[in-house]
Amino acid sequence: MSASQLLIPLHVQYIKSLGENKDDLVYHLTAHLRMNAVYWGLTALCAMGHKDALDRDEMIEYVMSCWDEEAGGFGAHPDHDPHLLPTLSAIQILTIHDSQDKLNIPKVTKFILSLQQPSGVFAGDQWGEIDTRFLYSAVNALSLIGQLHLLDVEKTVGYIKKCKNFDGGFGAVAGAESHAAQVWVCTAALAILDRLDVIDQDTLAWWLAERQLPNGGFNGRPQKLEDVCYSYWVLSSLSILRKLSWIDSEKLIPFVLSAQDTENGGIADRPGDLADVFHTVFGIVGLSLLGYPGLVDIDPVYCMPADLVASKGLRKDWEALPRRNS
Amino acid sequence: MFTTSLFPQSSPSKVNEYLSDDLSLTFGLLREHPKVYWIWNHRRWCLENIPDGPSEEDIDGWRNATWKKELFVVEKMLEADARNFHAWNYRRYILATMTSPPPPKSELAYTTRKIESNFSNFSAWHQRSKVLLTLWESGELDRAKSIEEDFELVRNAMYTDPDDQSVWIYHAWLIGEGNDVPRLQFEITSIQELLDEQPDSKWCMESLVRYKRLLVTKHAATVGNEAVRSLVDGCLELLEKLRAIDPPRRRRYEEIAEGIKSSR
Ligand SMILES: [Zn+2]
Repeated sequence: MSASQLLIPLHVQYIKSLGENKDDLVYHLTAHLRMNAVYWGLTALCAMGHKDALDRDEMIEYVMSCWDEEAGGFGAHPDHDPHLLPTLSAIQILTIHDSQDKLNIPKVTKFILSLQQPSGVFAGDQWGEIDTRFLYSAVNALSLIGQLHLLDVEKTVGYIKKCKNFDGGFGAVAGAESHAAQVWVCTAALAILDRLDVIDQDTLAWWLAERQLPNGGFNGRPQKLEDVCYSYWVLSSLSILRKLSWIDSEKLIPFVLSAQDTENGGIADRPGDLADVFHTVFGIVGLSLLGYPGLVDIDPVYCMPADLVASKGLRKDWEALPRRNS
Repeated sequence: MFTTSLFPQSSPSKVNEYLSDDLSLTFGLLREHPKVYWIWNHRRWCLENIPDGPSEEDIDGWRNATWKKELFVVEKMLEADARNFHAWNYRRYILATMTSPPPPKSELAYTTRKIESNFSNFSAWHQRSKVLLTLWESGELDRAKSIEEDFELVRNAMYTDPDDQSVWIYHAWLIGEGNDVPRLQFEITSIQELLDEQPDSKWCMESLVRYKRLLVTKHAATVGNEAVRSLVDGCLELLEKLRAIDPPRRRRYEEIAEGIKSSR
């Protein structure tokens, strides 16, 4: 098949096939990312308008089998310790499937809040690794379950401010170099907290626009290689800043399409590499933000279906490119 | 605390030995997988659990020795990949946490070496900005004087590869809010000279627009009406050129030009 179009049926098939072969070595190697992978697969399906391609009840059952009643959080896999990343994914999956009633909201709220450190950042789990990704996970999750009022917003925003660099971007921890993925988590967290005023918006949008390379793809930092997932971090951040017009979508779209596996489905980090569900979802969601025909609107703040986020009253003031007819 | 529960039967010197051995063993693993989060985190955990010792007089002895070794490990890792952000983050963590870190000036010298061996190493420029802020704050370096020196360093880099955005982003940091009018004027002249040699240099034009706008918006009274008019015309001309040579980002140049025109 030709890679000049998004091969929606093939990608749906690819995502369905991922859960099927449990003897696959890759399945075991990626156990620590299983819950995230389910969320990535589901979000990709939602963006392609095939939310029901994976069995809803089975998915909810899987999510709940990762719930750690004692700790109040979700693990990535039934026998794994709870962590913020799978906890956010679990909450997103349950929200997409209109099943928040399965959640013990007071308990999971307590778990999330317990991971905030005195500096304002969040640890991923009891072992204490800190990262602005975990801060975003906490803010997003609390917002989705309507518990954001329990968060110390000043303290949280205070840490993001410490991660701000002279190029307008943000790093993983205070002092770290700006990186597109960390820019997205910080920008999206600030959007949820209604604190985009923290950002030097013209400088950041400039830095983001300079991530686009002559081949159309985006890198995550100056003088690095392009990668499909970086296009999502950059596009979502630019759409939150309402500056998507500062890059060339006509050059990005063919780059993402060229990273498709035209035989077995899925999208890779760059043309010729092996496809995976991570690059599949961020490739497709990126295309959705660019108005690619036939896709469903995705909210760049929550990385979930835009209609759903809006119906919960959580939509922020972002702007994607208009959906095209063909 | 973790240490006593993990190694309940062991003497402090045994614990120190286990942890040092573990750090040595996992160094090989790190070289093979330099971007795996948990390996780096595991090293942090080991470091934080080095017990007091070897003696009451020297309770930081083991810690200092191990942390110093880690600084060496991280240097090896940055030799293999000078942009590895895990390694840079770990380096900052070590320097911030060790009990007797090398002086910040030696870290500044480290970034100079890294930058001089490759001007495109934005990670090193970034680190340099952080170290300089510390040195200025503590008074160990005179801000004005060290900025002066860094403009020289950047100038070399600009002439070596005018297309390298790392250098220009750092240059913009040195200029900062642009409160120093003679400096702005000097840099504008010198970038213009480079542009005359390299008439298609996008980053020369981008930077000229940025600094000319600073003069216009912040120092109109100082530079006078006539100069403002010619700076504005210069910006619009450059933006027109940028639109042509950098089409992916043309909307940005157009928006800046519209902003300039509407405030004229
Ligand atoms: Zn990637």
